Amino acid sequence: MAEFPKTAECIVIGGGIIGASIAYELTKVNFGKVVILEKNTVSSGSTGRCGGGIRAQWSTPENVRLAMESVKRFRELEGELGTDTEYEEGGYLILAHSDEELSQFRKNVEMQKKHGLQVELLSPEEAKKVVPLLNTEKITGATWCSTDGSINPFLINFAYMKKALEQGASLYERTEVLSIDKEGSKITGVVTPKGVISCPVIVNAAGGYAGTVASKARIELPLVPHRHEILATEQINRFFKNMIMSFEHNIYFRQVKDGGIVGGQTNPGEPPGTSVVSGISFIKEMSVKLGHFIPALGDVKILRQWAGLYCMSPDAQPILGRVEGTQGYFHACGFSGHGLMLAPRVSVLMAKAISDTSFHDPDLDRLGLDRFEKGIASFEKSVV
Amino acid sequence: MKRQTDIAVIGGGPAGLSAAVEASSFGLKIEVFDDNFTPGGQLIKQTHKFFGSKKHLCGYRGMDISKILLQNCASAGVTINTEACVTGIYGNILAVLYPERFEEVESKAFVVATGASENCINFVNNDLPGIYGAGAIQTLMNVFGVVPAKKVLMIGSGNIGLIVSYQLLQAGVKVAAVIEALPNVGGYLVHSAKLRRMGVPIYTRRTITKAEGDGNTGVNSAVTSQIDPNFNVIEGTEIQFDVDCICLAVGLTPLSDVLELAGCRMKYIPELGGKVALHDEYMKTTRDNVFLCGDVSGIEEAVTASLEGKLAGLSAALYLSHEYREKIEKSRLQILEELRIFRDGPFGEKARKGNEKLVREYKYER
Repeated sequence: MAEFPKTAECIVIGGGIIGASIAYELTKVNFGKVVILEKNTVSSGSTGRCGGGIRAQWSTPENVRLAMESVKRFRELEGELGTDTEYEEGGYLILAHSDEELSQFRKNVEMQKKHGLQVELLSPEEAKKVVPLLNTEKITGATWCSTDGSINPFLINFAYMKKALEQGASLYERTEVLSIDKEGSKITGVVTPKGVISCPVIVNAAGGYAGTVASKARIELPLVPHRHEILATEQINRFFKNMIMSFEHNIYFRQVKDGGIVGGQTNPGEPPGTSVVSGISFIKEMSVKLGHFIPALGDVKILRQWAGLYCMSPDAQPILGRVEGTQGYFHACGFSGHGLMLAPRVSVLMAKAISDTSFHDPDLDRLGLDRFEKGIASFEKSVV
Repeated sequence: MKRQTDIAVIGGGPAGLSAAVEASSFGLKIEVFDDNFTPGGQLIKQTHKFFGSKKHLCGYRGMDISKILLQNCASAGVTINTEACVTGIYGNILAVLYPERFEEVESKAFVVATGASENCINFVNNDLPGIYGAGAIQTLMNVFGVVPAKKVLMIGSGNIGLIVSYQLLQAGVKVAAVIEALPNVGGYLVHSAKLRRMGVPIYTRRTITKAEGDGNTGVNSAVTSQIDPNFNVIEGTEIQFDVDCICLAVGLTPLSDVLELAGCRMKYIPELGGKVALHDEYMKTTRDNVFLCGDVSGIEEAVTASLEGKLAGLSAALYLSHEYREKIEKSRLQILEELRIFRDGPFGEKARKGNEKLVREYKYER
């Protein structure tokens, strides 16, 4: 094994989808020596624990734009990275349970359409046509976007990482960043148990641990990690390809390519923290919910359950880009549970911002840390 | 209000039943949860006698040992729940799925004795009807009295492969051959010699590459090939066996999901058959109230499973009450010594090494 590096041009902290995609985009434009430090293993954090959904149906324009641009990238990525990622545009069906919710959906659809998203409002009958086994009894309507879809989180994470390494990046797993060195306001390097690396640029892509990493550079981030639980059932004949979501019932689920149902919910009253222990109430509640939405799932067995972290920001939108007053520090964190689906676009923007200090992009600028001082423009409401 | 117990034992095989009996001597409420119709684990299908002393219930047939253990449970006041499939340990709650209902049982301590699952190997058409694990063949023949096939090819010459081959012959089923990938027969000489006397050939350095047949009528033949020291198939060495059943006796993997879900630290230890929960020599995991014993702590056999069960039962009792500390500690040392003697010798070497690794890791974690 190569000797632990003493210097680098850029250190990416985190080997999840965000860290891997940024390392890939940086090495693609020949940024220089990129080192990825991962405290556990690649995809062991939020990426490898997520549901794999990809959607552009958001309530804030920033999220819609980032997601739509990401979908364009997802279409190119299998070819570009040379790996099957199980990317599929199976659509997202988001259910409304009241007239009030439906009118919010109407507003969302209007805004999303302005950005060019092919999205439509469906009646309960039309929703049933998308998934014939869906129980539409208490549904007032739904939104449908056929270009939303899903991907295998591990495969896309590994694919980005593999290509980044081929392009010259180096990866160190089980290597936690102990502290971040600064001289005045400039980043000068990081300290790990394996050695010290001098480096003028670091990227905080540490997912659920982004707040801890930032504090090592004496930057305070308004991020709170929360445990989110998820389960997978046994394989059954595939009868729908889309994601089904309900904000009212706090649930999302889809049938993955091999036939298993994968779905999760937000546990009400979940305290902040980095615990990823599995709970029994989750299994009980999900069993009831899945059986309610698709009665035919009643006898399907749950194979396993696990949990991961949503790193929530105050407006449920990511915190991106540079930081005023700390030269060489960048962040791409606080994705609030939606890092995978925004990664392809965010990584392109981040690579540009890192390699060109004069680069500006309206979304990147609007999603900077300073928005919490200036005043938040919009809150993302469409979160499960 | 949830049902409450002091110690919940998950799995009613030799390990779990021994743990339950041992822990019951200290005035504690013990319940066993077993997912089968009949408790006893693998013992209920074992028609052969065990080697060893009567003290360790050897000299009896496996199915009779399970009867003795169940009688001991009954006289000790242990409750045994059957068709009770444990789906998880969540904090102090045991989740139990019965055929028609779901129950949560609150317990102060847990002994996990879930055993193991049978391994499968890769070959073409390995999902055809007529391909069984050795445990399934034993269940069909010895528990339900069903003749599984007319002619069987046995894959694997460990003790299970050899014994099940012999039992098949006893049931009037033909055994075409036993196939072994390694250069030597894995099981005891006494078992392989019996088979050879009955005219069953044992081929070493050979593996199955393909099953033939169809999805409706099942297997009708098996293709095997010789393999080189790197386990690569040697072309031109095929032997085809016309059989209607292929029996896989290719090892076991600890069934440790419940321990992982309970939050115990896990470690992959090849000598023990897969992922196991780290534990100390007294069978305590990294969770203070969760103990384990039997194959789930590493693949061995019924006598060591039973001894480990006693250790786990004693440790769980000690965790709940210090009243009998001296007595329990003395008994535990005695059992440890018995275990050491049992694992002494070439057949116990793997388990010995694996367990040493495990205890070392456990101490490091602490």
